[in-house]
Amino acid sequence: MNNASRVLLKNLLLATSRMNTYRYSTDRKKKKRALMNMIGAGVLYVMLISYSASFGFACGSMGIAAAIPAMCALLICILAFFRTIFRTNGYLFNFREYDMLMALPFEPKTVAACKFFYMYANSLPWYMSISAAMMAGYGFYEKPPVYIYPVWILLTAILPLVPMVGAAFVGFLFAKISIGFRAKKAVQTVLLFAFVIFCFSLRYIIEGIFKNDQLNETVETLANAAKQAGICYPPIAWFSDSITKSSISGMLLLVGISLVLFSVVFRLVGNSYRRINSAMQSHEASKKYRMTAQKVRSVRSAVAFKEMKRMLGSTTYMVNVGMGEVLAVLLGIVVLIFGFDRIIGTVTQGAPLTAAMLYPAIPLIVYFMIGMLPTTVCSPSLEGDNYWIVQSLPIEKKVLYQGKMLFNLYLSIPAMAIATVCFCISAKAPLLNTVLYLICGTVLCVFSTVWGCVCGLKHIRLDWENEVEVIKQGAAVLIYLFPNMIVTMALCVLAVILGMKMSQNLLTIVLIFIMTVLSGLSYLHLMKLIRKSS
Amino acid sequence: MSAQNGAILEIRGYSKAYGEGAKAVDNVSLTVEPGDIYGFIGHNGAGKSTTIRAVVGVLDFTEGEILIDGHSVKEEPIACKSITAYIPDNPDLYDNLTGIQYLNFIADVFGIDAAKREERIRKYADELEITEALGDLITSYSHGMKQKLAIISALIHDPKLLVLDEPFVGLDPKATFTLKEIMHQRCAEGAAVFFSTHVLDVAEKLCNKVAIIKKGKIIASGTMEELTNGQSLEETFLEVADE
Repeated sequence: MNNASRVLLKNLLLATSRMNTYRYSTDRKKKKRALMNMIGAGVLYVMLISYSASFGFACGSMGIAAAIPAMCALLICILAFFRTIFRTNGYLFNFREYDMLMALPFEPKTVAACKFFYMYANSLPWYMSISAAMMAGYGFYEKPPVYIYPVWILLTAILPLVPMVGAAFVGFLFAKISIGFRAKKAVQTVLLFAFVIFCFSLRYIIEGIFKNDQLNETVETLANAAKQAGICYPPIAWFSDSITKSSISGMLLLVGISLVLFSVVFRLVGNSYRRINSAMQSHEASKKYRMTAQKVRSVRSAVAFKEMKRMLGSTTYMVNVGMGEVLAVLLGIVVLIFGFDRIIGTVTQGAPLTAAMLYPAIPLIVYFMIGMLPTTVCSPSLEGDNYWIVQSLPIEKKVLYQGKMLFNLYLSIPAMAIATVCFCISAKAPLLNTVLYLICGTVLCVFSTVWGCVCGLKHIRLDWENEVEVIKQGAAVLIYLFPNMIVTMALCVLAVILGMKMSQNLLTIVLIFIMTVLSGLSYLHLMKLIRKSS
Repeated sequence: MSAQNGAILEIRGYSKAYGEGAKAVDNVSLTVEPGDIYGFIGHNGAGKSTTIRAVVGVLDFTEGEILIDGHSVKEEPIACKSITAYIPDNPDLYDNLTGIQYLNFIADVFGIDAAKREERIRKYADELEITEALGDLITSYSHGMKQKLAIISALIHDPKLLVLDEPFVGLDPKATFTLKEIMHQRCAEGAAVFFSTHVLDVAEKLCNKVAIIKKGKIIASGTMEELTNGQSLEETFLEVADE
């Protein structure tokens, strides 16, 4: 890394450091928020470390401690790949300060590489936390020589490079392809959606291959699954061998391949960097518009329309908030084509569950995807520098947020309805159940919209440098996303168990009632927050 | 490549098209020499910013050649950027840095030693009356203060060419006066200024050369005297731009 890269990287990290904001801000609210963010991040680290340590110790107690390095590597590589693929567009391309940086004497490849290393430096503490906690489990049960510990830590720092470079390269390819089209953002979004869906289904494709080869026994245990991953993706095996067999060749291969791959990819990216960014930030003016009669909308609809245009204008926003809806509809269609039993059998690994047993879980399965990330979580913060527009308009804040919520309902309810109907048809659910599941799904959509808005408003952050900061890693997103996913998964299990002991329709009605009450309470809380912020 | 005629900025046949559509800028050629304060005027969407962004190496282009002090923007971008300073119309600075942290970042990029950076920051920050705010986060700055900070950051490495896109927008009268003084001072020291503006009165009083761009094409250029021919710049502009 040369001096220019060091200066730029240091500055990028400083410019987004909460500590810097805390230290120099004269605004007490901002100082408090920066402090709360740091405490929140600390809590998340503690949770992550506890979870990873329990996993490591659990593996050790089950007698598969030798597989911990491979499992740790697998986990880090998957996280690194997906964290990067969702952030490439936004960090590497289409970022706000592009003009300022490119007008300074930096090579394009330096800017691209620094932006990459910025993502790396931001993610590394997460991977290190996972790794160190799992290392503790491994050390406790396997008692490796002392020198293995620094090797483990050192290689953990290298391990995310290959998946991150791979994800950045995919993002680069998509950006390069999209600039050949007039609708650049739409093409980029479709490619990214398709790729992510392909990645999600990859697990089942690989599993299918193994099953066809009669190798299904080998993936039955956790340890062998990790071993199998090492065969498919050699860096996992290199890391594991470096730890378990003190393999020098494993270490050299991991370090060498990572560095070579990084150099090659960023030479390629650097060569096209300016062209891609120029094309992505430039828009051809058609100058063909002729004044016609304009459509009149209510204030709430006008806000909802503005929200839709905001979402369509950003690939990062579209992919992150729209992924749930797309997945739900696709899964609905897949279930309709291949059959409910077959898909559920694949997902539940052949657990003894019939379609009828799973009926009460249908709205929750659909909600798991639809409610993953409502637009209302990010949209208050996404106003950013444009916040003055809505602030200066003669509309009540309540109406503004109602408009934002309306847009999320426009987005989520049709997708929920399509997915639910597909599931119900395929599972041959009775008509009454189907109607109840649609009502339940609608109530769940309302809940996610309102609760998302509470999180979004409570943790609003307007002074972001890059929209990825509030779409992917904002406090509002973290507070909404993980608890919502965990509770939904738990509810799915609970619904199946309770559904075997009581009337399924009664169970759904109870769920509808509870979610209606929760939605109402969330709405009241939101109104209180709005009044406070006015 | 060395400067053939001593020009600091030479644009030869520069064109920029977006996709298969019409050219946003078509065959623009102009020359800025040491000591010039060169005004670049035109309607909104005429191609001023597209030209300026290509000059400072932000925008990629395929047709034409842009030379800064004899260095090609395409072939030797780093050499060009090392002697150029650019202030966009709406500077996107790092909001969560303090003013002084931002200036130090720019000084680090240009490799300015501690004594020089202190001297220059002190000089320009005092002139623009922003010294006391340098310890605050940029996010707390007004638009004008951000503009002032961008001006200081542009002057910190003593550039040969100052490229400014609508530099007077948001500046208070005192800062506007100071910036004009700085522009004169830089030109007296052998540097050159190339800037776009809509404020024709300012351009008339400040510039010795002007180019008028319309729908991506230069429709008039030359010294102020040649171009206005006794009329005001406003009258000349309206006359040629409406033809």
